[in-house]
Amino acid sequence: MIGTEIRKIKSWLIENLIPWQFLLLVLFGAYQNQLSATTSQGLRIGTASIDITPPLPAAVDGQMRLRVATIAETALLANVVVLELKDDFGKLDVSVLISCDLVTIPYELRDKIRESVAFSIPELDTRKIIINATHTHTGGVIRDGWYAIPDTVTQAVDYQNLVSRQVTRAVAVAWKKRDFGSISWGMGHAKVAYIRRAVYKDGSAKMYGKTNQDDFRKMEGYEDQSIFSLFFWDQAGKLIATCINVSSPAQIVESRSTIHADYWDPVRQGLQKKFGSDLVVLGWIGAAGDQTPRPMYDQFAELRMVELRQNNSSPEFESGSESVNFRSDSYLDEVGDRIVNAVMQTYDTVSKDQYREVVFDHAVEEIDLPMRLVTEEEYHNSKKLRDEDLNDNYRAIEFSRRIAFYDEVVKRFENQQKIQQPMYPVEIHALRIGDVVICTNPFEMFTDFGIQIKARSRALQTFIIQLVGPGTYLATKEALAGGHYSAIVESNRVGPEGGQILVDHTISMISALWPK
Amino acid sequence: MAFYFKLTSSIFLLAFLLFPVLASNDPSFDETLKVGWALADITPDRPVLIAGQFHARLSEGVLDPVSATVLAMESGVGNQTKKVVWISCDLVGISDGTRGGANIRDRIREQVIRLEPSLSPGQIIINATHTHAAPLVSSVDKIEEVYGVSLEKIASGGDAMPPAEYIDFAADRIAKATKEAWNSRKKGGVSFGLAHAVVSMNRLQALHTGKSVMYGNTNNPDFSHIEGHEDHSLNLMYFWDENRKLTGLIINVAAPSQVSEHSYQLSGDFWHDTKEELKKRYGMDIHILGQASAAGDLSPHVMIGGKAEERMQRLLGFEEDGTGRGSLGQRKQIALRISDAVTSIYPVMKDNINWNPEFAHRVAELQLSRRLLSIEDVTEAKKEAEEWQKRYQDMLDDLEKNPEKIKEARWYRDITISHSRLRRGLVVKERYELEKTEPKLPIEVHVLRIGEAVFATNPFELYLDYGMQMKARSPATQTFIVQLTGSGSYLPTKRSIAGGAYGAVPASTLIGPEGGRELVDQTLSLIESLW
Repeated sequence: MIGTEIRKIKSWLIENLIPWQFLLLVLFGAYQNQLSATTSQGLRIGTASIDITPPLPAAVDGQMRLRVATIAETALLANVVVLELKDDFGKLDVSVLISCDLVTIPYELRDKIRESVAFSIPELDTRKIIINATHTHTGGVIRDGWYAIPDTVTQAVDYQNLVSRQVTRAVAVAWKKRDFGSISWGMGHAKVAYIRRAVYKDGSAKMYGKTNQDDFRKMEGYEDQSIFSLFFWDQAGKLIATCINVSSPAQIVESRSTIHADYWDPVRQGLQKKFGSDLVVLGWIGAAGDQTPRPMYDQFAELRMVELRQNNSSPEFESGSESVNFRSDSYLDEVGDRIVNAVMQTYDTVSKDQYREVVFDHAVEEIDLPMRLVTEEEYHNSKKLRDEDLNDNYRAIEFSRRIAFYDEVVKRFENQQKIQQPMYPVEIHALRIGDVVICTNPFEMFTDFGIQIKARSRALQTFIIQLVGPGTYLATKEALAGGHYSAIVESNRVGPEGGQILVDHTISMISALWPK
Repeated sequence: MAFYFKLTSSIFLLAFLLFPVLASNDPSFDETLKVGWALADITPDRPVLIAGQFHARLSEGVLDPVSATVLAMESGVGNQTKKVVWISCDLVGISDGTRGGANIRDRIREQVIRLEPSLSPGQIIINATHTHAAPLVSSVDKIEEVYGVSLEKIASGGDAMPPAEYIDFAADRIAKATKEAWNSRKKGGVSFGLAHAVVSMNRLQALHTGKSVMYGNTNNPDFSHIEGHEDHSLNLMYFWDENRKLTGLIINVAAPSQVSEHSYQLSGDFWHDTKEELKKRYGMDIHILGQASAAGDLSPHVMIGGKAEERMQRLLGFEEDGTGRGSLGQRKQIALRISDAVTSIYPVMKDNINWNPEFAHRVAELQLSRRLLSIEDVTEAKKEAEEWQKRYQDMLDDLEKNPEKIKEARWYRDITISHSRLRRGLVVKERYELEKTEPKLPIEVHVLRIGEAVFATNPFELYLDYGMQMKARSPATQTFIVQLTGSGSYLPTKRSIAGGAYGAVPASTLIGPEGGRELVDQTLSLIESLW
């Protein structure tokens, strides 16, 4: 019935309108379509930053071994940007971007934050809250049940509650502060990502494997040295926030038993020196499951330059020795400088290209990915290793994380006896802002998948944020063939086939944000 | 002419053996360093054939000069000094007699020694920056044999300089500049450092099918990943006079200079823009010696994020120069990146000058296993050659019927592609036969230690993995790999051969992974002998 009426109207228009009127109508329609998610009122921006340092002593998350920190070398932060757009019909679209100095974002933490924010700001659609971890390995333990934490030390659930409370406060502040402003984006480069999987003559691969040996053949994958930045200015032209996308996890000082925000601390300090202490800096880690911020070869040359630049001294070391240490404050400063320089160069270039009105469209979907299947051999191996740890009084406590690591495989295999192909639900966001898009995944995603998304995306720049969720490595087919940690069944919930489905689906979501 | 080059090659090879330049590693030896620089303009004043593509290109003017930078170094005092002259040329390769009869390397050496008899051939190292907009020096054969039509016809009856004449012209100018550099050497200091700049990208795309392509479209559901690695390190060596004033720089970057690779105008490519930018920063009299590190699978063409890079070029103010792939804007962006990297470590380099660096040089002839070709390789290449033969013949017939065609601009493009592809197919059979009698290919390799840094050369377009293996295992603090100190040809990896992209197919290669391993191991042995 309605279709018939529309056809009648179309016929009348075609018969009665003179060509130029018709053209105007067509153009108007196209304009409406183009601006379907934008407004003449412009984007409103709110920012906030809040301390999420755990009370000390605190267990430290990220390694197999339990570590307890009694010192916080730096504060851990949650940084927030709220983006709001009201369309011409009064419809509100809000996205909340939250970056946390944590190793991952467990789903229970995400849900706690969303519930808490929903209570605080009822008009927000909390599904459009994106929370990512910078993957610092010197943050508080946020994953409940992963470590045997002594009673005298901050417990994971308590820390989740603290983070949830603090983040909710920050979102409320940012929400209250939101005001019209402008935005721009750009790309620079800095050497921060180093592929960490070395491949040897026999085809095997090893994470952090030695490269100065005869059977070393190549690094397994690619590196992405691009540094993408988003900049937000207030109406007075002051830079109030920046989101920096680096395809390398923040784990330079990963083995310390202290609290530390890793390289994001010198990055924030460096940028705040230039733009003021109230600048909010969101650290976004790109697809970097196979990356590290530490060099895998040329270590002596890199270390010498770090020492020359940071301390104006040339280190004494014997060539070929094992004395190269990049887990230092000097190297943190070095990487911080590299990122700050790249961001500053980008800022200087794109600050003349700011936008007050942009297309703004946020899609969020949940899809099921096929889980990597556990073979019988893998099951028996994991079971054996788990039981060996469990039967040793010292290891049962000290390596409880490792026990959980193997136990998960055992349980998965047992579950496979009931469900042939278990599925793994993941939440994916695709947020278009002007010519760029931000897309997320919950994994430690190997760079090759991220490169596929970037290459096939319709956006001018595609920001990829990994660890918008609990993690686990998403490794490639090549990595599985090479084996070793990060590409073995204990490290992966989802295999390469699931990775490809994730890539293809993300690209579909991105494409849907642009007119056909 | 071919006989002449073979004769000179033999003389110089003999000279290597009789005049070894093994350096003393005795720490008590006085390592006082003397440094001299000069620049040779090797831009021809007549049209020449430009090298780097399947099709012929007759130069249609000069976008910017092509040049050779000469660095003369002498270490020690008295009669026991160690001498090395390093020459970097804006050329696609340094013909050395390996492929065809041309040998600009030995011609330069011969001319240099004629002017400066105290130097020996093995002390002269010559590398190409791999610009694809410089005169052809890879052949002294008749152009009709190379491209299937005569130079006269390509030039539409006009004047053009044949490659053999250009080789003499360039060698003469380079030799004079070398003499100038040698005569101007003065006491100097040196410092070396590592910085980073994104100049090149891996140009091979692996598809989900397992095959690879060079310069494929990454915006494609078939695209799986980038086949290999990238190297964004910039190995830098700064040279200073006694007043601590910068006299010149060696810039070693894992990138061939082929942004303007389709140009019909002569050009030094991004090295020209880099030199201009650095002169602005450090004075008009500084010298820049460009070297390409292992980069057979790399190029400056952006494979992912091209539009974002182009926007950045526009915002940097390069719109008038053009932006995007192959543009002057991209060259200027690269020049800025390299220059910024140079500038970023300049202060610490100035504070850490070594006035008496350890200086040691070895040159060796390595025997590398040729890539073993199968009869299937020959059959496939032959089939391809036959297809191109037919196309070439059709075009040749058409030309005979329409001789006025040569008056059309760039009329020769398609016919010269056909002939090049035809020859490329035939060469596989030649190599297949050659392997039976000469399973090894001799190549010249230099290792030069200056302080705790080392330079290691090879004549190939060396795939990055090999360079990385050498860097990872080298005892030097910094290892400057210098490719294309000879006539080129790709040296691909096992994974690249499996992928089968251009650069890894039999027609593109003299050496395969087996020879690559030998090159790595033997180069490392040479390097280790300097420590």
